[in-house]
Amino acid sequence: MNKYLLAAAALLVLGTNVAFAHITLETQEAAVGSTYKAVLRVPHGCDGKATTAVRVQIPEGAIAVKPMPKPGWTLQTKKGKYEESYHLYGQAVSDGVKEVDWSGGNLPDEFYDEFVFRATLTADLPAGQKLYFPVVQECGDATDRWIEIPAAGQDEDALENPAPGIKLTPKK
Amino acid sequence: MVDTTSKLSGWLAGGLLALLMAFTVMASTDQAFAHAALIKTDPADGAVLAQAPTRLSLTFSEPVSPLVLTLVKPDGTPLPLTSFRLTDQTIEIDNPQALKSGTHVLSWRVISADGHPVGGSLLFSIGAPSEPPAVPEAVDWPLREAIWIGKVLLYIGLFMGVGGAFALAWLSGEGRPGQRFVSAAVLCGLVAAPLSLGFQGLDALGAPLSHLAQPVIWRTGLGTSFGWTVLVALISLGLGLLSLAGPHRAAKPFALAGLAGVGAALAASGHAGAAEPQWLTRPLVFVHGAGIGFWAGALVPLGLALRRQTADAVVFLRRFSLAILPVVAVLATAGIVLAVIQVQTPSALVGTAYGRLLLVKLALLVFLFTLAAVNRWKLTASAEAGATEVQRRLTRSISVEMLLVLAIFGVAAGWRFTPPPRALAIAAAQPVSVHIHTLQAMADLTITPGHAGQVGASMIIMTGDFGPLDAKEVTLVLSKPDSGIEPLKRAATKPGDGSWRVDNLVIPVPGRWTVRIDILVSDFQIVKIEAPVDIRP
Repeated sequence: MNKYLLAAAALLVLGTNVAFAHITLETQEAAVGSTYKAVLRVPHGCDGKATTAVRVQIPEGAIAVKPMPKPGWTLQTKKGKYEESYHLYGQAVSDGVKEVDWSGGNLPDEFYDEFVFRATLTADLPAGQKLYFPVVQECGDATDRWIEIPAAGQDEDALENPAPGIKLTPKK
Repeated sequence: MVDTTSKLSGWLAGGLLALLMAFTVMASTDQAFAHAALIKTDPADGAVLAQAPTRLSLTFSEPVSPLVLTLVKPDGTPLPLTSFRLTDQTIEIDNPQALKSGTHVLSWRVISADGHPVGGSLLFSIGAPSEPPAVPEAVDWPLREAIWIGKVLLYIGLFMGVGGAFALAWLSGEGRPGQRFVSAAVLCGLVAAPLSLGFQGLDALGAPLSHLAQPVIWRTGLGTSFGWTVLVALISLGLGLLSLAGPHRAAKPFALAGLAGVGAALAASGHAGAAEPQWLTRPLVFVHGAGIGFWAGALVPLGLALRRQTADAVVFLRRFSLAILPVVAVLATAGIVLAVIQVQTPSALVGTAYGRLLLVKLALLVFLFTLAAVNRWKLTASAEAGATEVQRRLTRSISVEMLLVLAIFGVAAGWRFTPPPRALAIAAAQPVSVHIHTLQAMADLTITPGHAGQVGASMIIMTGDFGPLDAKEVTLVLSKPDSGIEPLKRAATKPGDGSWRVDNLVIPVPGRWTVRIDILVSDFQIVKIEAPVDIRP
């Protein structure tokens, strides 16, 4: 009996560890053609070290990105050309933010924090599929890369460092 | 007139001796290494292919020449593969037919410089694996026995026959005791030598004993380095016969040339002569063989001389006991050096079949040397002084020595079937390579040596279409889920030659591991590719 309890406890601890270990998005679903408020949840540092930077790559199809500044962190964006041209409020948009960096901060391993940005999900994005926002977490000289995207047919849970993603739902 | 004859035969014997030496040198010029080991195959063993390959290739640790290549189809029908090309250490084989789906076996048999054929098979599947077709049993025991008996008889012919002729010509004096036995031994060798060649041909082609009459068997046997051994042995046996039956004055040079031939015949093929460094091993085998001939050859004539109490028995004994000490010293030294080269580590003495045979031989030698020492220091002096009872004891002791020598021949002939630890070590030190190819990236991974323990890994990373891939980071991950060992994860470094390396990696257990290479293509893009790799024990 004890053995089963121990096994169950171990599973619980391991299971929660894995779930907590990843950087994830608070809202896991969004409709295409809507504005999405992304809240990146950073539950820990890199192997015990304090987080000093969080960088997120904006996927193709997410436009008009506006990050929310954080006290104590330097906010920067990298802009570039999109692969395609999109229409936003009747205007053609072909470039914009491709990467958002919060750096120079200090988030100790034992604390939790969130990093927020807003993006418009274009109507061309394929509903029913997932859209990923790869994140690089830097902790001084250590780096954790939450950038793995499952290949077709691959189980997302099998990934070691999955990129945070959302499920796209049909346009409302 | 007599003088002219003897001079003539002296020249003749000298010429033959020179010829023998020339043969040995020629036999040793073709770069000789050890048993060949298979390093890499295409397709890989166990591979599942979408389509039938147009070409198959086998890469060995040294140059080889193929003897038999057969493709066994899923329904069990063998298909001989006759169209192939040799480039360095690789055999490229054309696939003659469109293959159906299912598991195929490529059965190969090649020969390397030591004259010993090696074989193996490689499984690959087209479409999906099926029940592998049955491949015939690898060991042909009747043939092995025939090879072994042929070898023992050849040893008897060379050592007791030609060696005996030497003892009769140089040591025995006028009586020539045991001439009939020596002649019989030479004849035995003359029969065994060509038969052994046929057996070698059968072994080389993996053919059963019943095919012995086919010409191709004999051509193949002659084409291996053992062909040289047989040729030189036949010349040496002929010289022994000439020394026994030819003009009396010429007996000595013929016998000397014959004894040199014994050494040369042994040096021409076999594990010991094929080992590196060649400049050392071939002469050592030569000296070892000639020494055995001197010792073993004298035993029967000496024993008979003492039993019959011939007039020259005491002279024979004196000459033999005078010469035997330096001969045995050289013989033993050569044997020890060769054994050290072959066995390398003491643990291989018990750990390998070759080492165990050596232990048996050493045990027999301890007996033999004890007997010989008793003979030499206890009995010889009194026997030389003419003590009849002691001479009788000496005769008995020599008979036992004879039996021991025969047993040693039997053990030494068994080495024909056991690769020496030296060759096993060379095979074990070979790297394992794996080629991983995906749409996003590909990698050539080489793990050196390819066995469990401390290894180094080297990787060449390219894009899926063979373009350059300047990765930011490369991580090697080795896992073996069935072993309960946590994955081994090591960051690779760039030594600057375009490759990525992981040093001081320890693979704890042999078997099938999964190797994964994590390639960080850019800040936000990682490609993980994996493949199985077989780590040898």
